[in-house]
Amino acid sequence: MSAPPEQVTITIDDRSVSVPKGTGLVESALQAGIEIPVFCYEPRLGPPLGACRMCLVEIEGLPKLQAACTLSAQDGMVVRTSATSAQAADGQEGVLEFILLNHPLDCPDCDKGGECPLQDLTLRYGPGTSRMVVQKRTFDKPIPISPLIALDRERCILCYRCTRFSEQVAEDGQLVALNRGASSIIATFEDEPYRAHFSGNVIDLCPVGALTSTVYRFRARPWEIQNVPTVCAMCPVGCNVWATTREGKVARVLARNHPEVDGGWLCDKGRFAHDHLRAADRLTEPIRRIRMRGLVAVPWEEALDAADEGLRAAGASVCVAFSGGETVEQADALSRLVRQGLGADVALLPDDPDPALDAFRAPLAAIRSANVCLVVGDEPVLERAPIVDLWLRAARRGGAEVVTVGPAGAIAAPPGSAAAICAALAASSPPEELRELARDLREADRVALVWSGDDDTGGRHLAGLAAALELGEGSGAYFLPRTPNGRGVAQAWRAAGDGRGIDPSGDEALGALIVSGDEALRDTRVVALADRARFVLTTAMFMNEAAGQSHVILPGTGYLERDGTVVNLEGRSQRLRRTVEPPGWDELAFFAQLARRFGVDVDPWTRAGVDELAALPARSGTAPVVAAPAARGPQRAAGAGGDFELVRYRALFSGAAVERVPQLAFQRPAAEVELPGGDASRLHIATGERVVLRSGEVSRELAARVNRRLAPGVARVAEEHADGLADSVRIEKA
Amino acid sequence: MSELRDEIHAVARRYPARRSAVIPALRLAQERYGWLPPEAFREVAAALDLTPAYCKSVASFYDMFHLEPVGAHTVEICTNVSCALVGAQRTLEAFERELGIRAGETTRDGAVSLRTIECAGGCGWGPVVAVDHRYREPVRPEDVPAIVGELRRTTGGA
Repeated sequence: MSAPPEQVTITIDDRSVSVPKGTGLVESALQAGIEIPVFCYEPRLGPPLGACRMCLVEIEGLPKLQAACTLSAQDGMVVRTSATSAQAADGQEGVLEFILLNHPLDCPDCDKGGECPLQDLTLRYGPGTSRMVVQKRTFDKPIPISPLIALDRERCILCYRCTRFSEQVAEDGQLVALNRGASSIIATFEDEPYRAHFSGNVIDLCPVGALTSTVYRFRARPWEIQNVPTVCAMCPVGCNVWATTREGKVARVLARNHPEVDGGWLCDKGRFAHDHLRAADRLTEPIRRIRMRGLVAVPWEEALDAADEGLRAAGASVCVAFSGGETVEQADALSRLVRQGLGADVALLPDDPDPALDAFRAPLAAIRSANVCLVVGDEPVLERAPIVDLWLRAARRGGAEVVTVGPAGAIAAPPGSAAAICAALAASSPPEELRELARDLREADRVALVWSGDDDTGGRHLAGLAAALELGEGSGAYFLPRTPNGRGVAQAWRAAGDGRGIDPSGDEALGALIVSGDEALRDTRVVALADRARFVLTTAMFMNEAAGQSHVILPGTGYLERDGTVVNLEGRSQRLRRTVEPPGWDELAFFAQLARRFGVDVDPWTRAGVDELAALPARSGTAPVVAAPAARGPQRAAGAGGDFELVRYRALFSGAAVERVPQLAFQRPAAEVELPGGDASRLHIATGERVVLRSGEVSRELAARVNRRLAPGVARVAEEHADGLADSVRIEKA
Repeated sequence: MSELRDEIHAVARRYPARRSAVIPALRLAQERYGWLPPEAFREVAAALDLTPAYCKSVASFYDMFHLEPVGAHTVEICTNVSCALVGAQRTLEAFERELGIRAGETTRDGAVSLRTIECAGGCGWGPVVAVDHRYREPVRPEDVPAIVGELRRTTGGA
C-alpha cells in the first residue's frame, strides 16, 4: 500500500478545511459544509469538463472567476463561493441566465419538474426574472432516442453528461454531440435507436428534463411518490436501487450508488423490466387441476390443502427445482420443508458456486484498481452480470491489462475450455500462448479473475488459480452465477440438511416435484422431471406450457414485492425490501404454512440484520489445489463445408420479465448468428446475409453478423435463437 | 469498397492509436463520395473500430466536411473581417448573380456549390476565394465571370 497522500489546507468562504492533496474543489467545499453548485460535473464520468460554468468561484490571486470543478485543492488556496463573493454570485447568475436563454419555461408539464437540478439551482442562484424578449429555439419533440428514452432537445443545456457516459463509461459510442457551438445537439447516428445495455443511465445523469424515460414519463409527480431503497434481483450483481412507487405500484427504478457494487450505474434490464409486475397475463390467484374441469382458480386455503395432500402422497420421493431468484428466506423455507418435513433430499440448483471462492472474496470495485484482469468462460460478461463489464472497462481505462481468454477472447480458446485454461495458468509451465499472461498474472500486485461460463466446477477451478497465484487483499476471484441469488439459494439448501440426494437425472417415477419460479419452468431438465412426477406444485408469475402441466399453481411474486435477503456474486448479503404489495400471499408465507403442516417451524418473515449498503463479509476458508482437467484439443478451423462449434449464450434481455415490457423489445437479441471474420469471408458470407444453421434434422435460418473477435470455427447465437441445435452445426448461405 | 478500407488502414498506421486517424480517414471518404453520406461514416467506423456516431460527431464539428451533397465544384468565400474590409460581400454577390444561387446552395445542375467560410488565413490578399480548395486571391467582382466560366467548362459544357 502506498503512503497516505499529503494533506493540504485551504480556506473556503472563510472556513478552513484540510483535505488530501489533489481533492477537487467541489469535494473540498463539501467537506467544509459548503455546496458549490454544478450541472456538468460528475466525477464518475471521468475527468471534469467545465462545460456548464455553474461552479464559478473566486480564487484569491487569480484575476477571473474559475470553474471550481476543474481545480484541485492547493495548499493555502483561498476560495470564495457565491455565498461570500459578489463577483462569484454575479457570475453564477449570469451563467444561469445564459443557460436559460433557450431553455423553455415548461416546468409545469416537464417530467423533471420538482426533481430538477436546473429548477432548484435557478431558484437558489439564478436571476428572478428573464430579460429574454426574443423567440427561444424550438425543435421537434420529443425525439425518440430509443423506445426507452425521449429527448426534448430544447431543454438540453449541453452539459455533455450523457455523451460522456456513452463514450467514457459504457464505451458504446452511440450517443454523441453533433455540430459545434450554439448549434450543438445530442443525437444518435442517423436517428437509429440508442441500443446499449446501459442506455438508461443517461436519464439519471441528465440534470434537466431533456432525457426522460418513456416508461415513466407522465406517470407520476415527485411530490406524490415514495422512493424505497432496495436491491435489483435481475442478475447476480445485485445493484442497489431506488424503487419509486406511486399509489401502490412501481413506477420506475433508479440507481442507488453502492460504491463497492455498482458505482451508481444500472443496466436497462434492472431499470425498465419492473413493468412486468403489471403485465395483464400475470397470475393472481392459486390454480388447481380438478378432474374433468381442468385448471380452476381456488382460494388460498384450498391450494394449501391440495399441496399438503399431494406432497403427503408422494412420501420422500420429492424433488424441488429452484429458479435462483428466490430470496434466501424463501429458499430456506422450501429447503426445510423438503429436507426436514418430507424427508426428501433432491434439488435442482441453477447454480452451485464453490465455497472455496470465499477465500478470494473482494468487492466488485476492486476490479477497477487491478493491474491485470483475466476473464474466462464462454458467456459474455455483459450478458451475464452487466455491471462487471463496466468495472472491467474502468480497469482498462485506468491502465490495467484486461485479457479475455475464450471463444471471443483476445486469446482464442475453444468453447468449454475455461477450466483447462485456469489449470494451465496455475501450472508451473503454461503453454506458449498463455506464457506471457501467466507471467503478468504472477507479477501483478492486484489481480481480478472473472469466470463467466456455465460450468459448475468453474468456482473450484477459479479458486485453484487464485490459490496458485497467491492472491492477496486487493485482488479477487469473481465467479458469475447464472441466476440472481443462485449463491444464496445453494447456501440455504445446503444449510437445511446434509443428505447426498438421489440423482434427478434417472428415469424412475417421482412422487412430487416442486417448481419454484418462472426460471425453473424454462429449464428443460425441470420440464422432463415434471413428466415423471405424479404431483407437480408450481409457483410462477406467468403461465406457460410447462406450468400448465402442474396440479397446483401458486401465483409468484416479483423481487420488488419481496422482503428478504439475496446473496450477490461477491457473496454479499443484501436486503430486498417489499416496495409494493404482491397480489396474494407471497411464496414465503405459503411455504412457511405448508412446512408447519409437516412439523417444520419456518418464520414467515425476514430475519433482521442486513443493513443498507451491506458490507462484504471477510474472506474465509482456503482454496483447494485443483488437478488440471483434461486438455481440449487444439482449435479446429472450420471445414470447407462450414462446420462450426456453436456457442450459445443467455442474453441479458431475455426471460419472462423482459418479454412483458414492450419498450424493451428492441433490446432483445436479434435473430442472428455471429461468425468469425476469416470463416465468413472464406464462405463469402457478409453481415446481414441470411444463413442456415443445421445439426441433424434441425435447421434454423438466421442473419449473419461478422465478429472479428470470434475464434475460427466458432459460431455464437443467443440461446433463444438456438432452439434444438446441437453443439456442432453446419452453416451455409440460405 | 474495400479499397477505401485499405487506404484508411494505410493512413492509420502513421498514428499511435487508430482513433487518431479519424480526420484523415473522413477526408479520404469525402474524396471518394464527394461528401459524407451515412455509408461513409459506417465504412470509416468499421475500418477504425469506432462507431459511426463518433465519426459523425467529429465530422459535424469541422466545416470542411460536407454532411450534405455538394456540387462537382466548390466556391468558398471568406467573409471574415480582413476580407470583408476589402469587399468580400461584393465578390460574394457577384458569384450569387453569376451562378443564380445564394450562399449555401448548389446550382440545379449540381455543378457548383457556393458558401461562405471563416478566415482562411490569407488576410494579406483578400478577398480570399477557395475554388475547389485552391486559393485565388484577391478575387474582385470583375474576376468572377471568368472563374464561373472556367468551372462550367470543366463540368461537361453545362
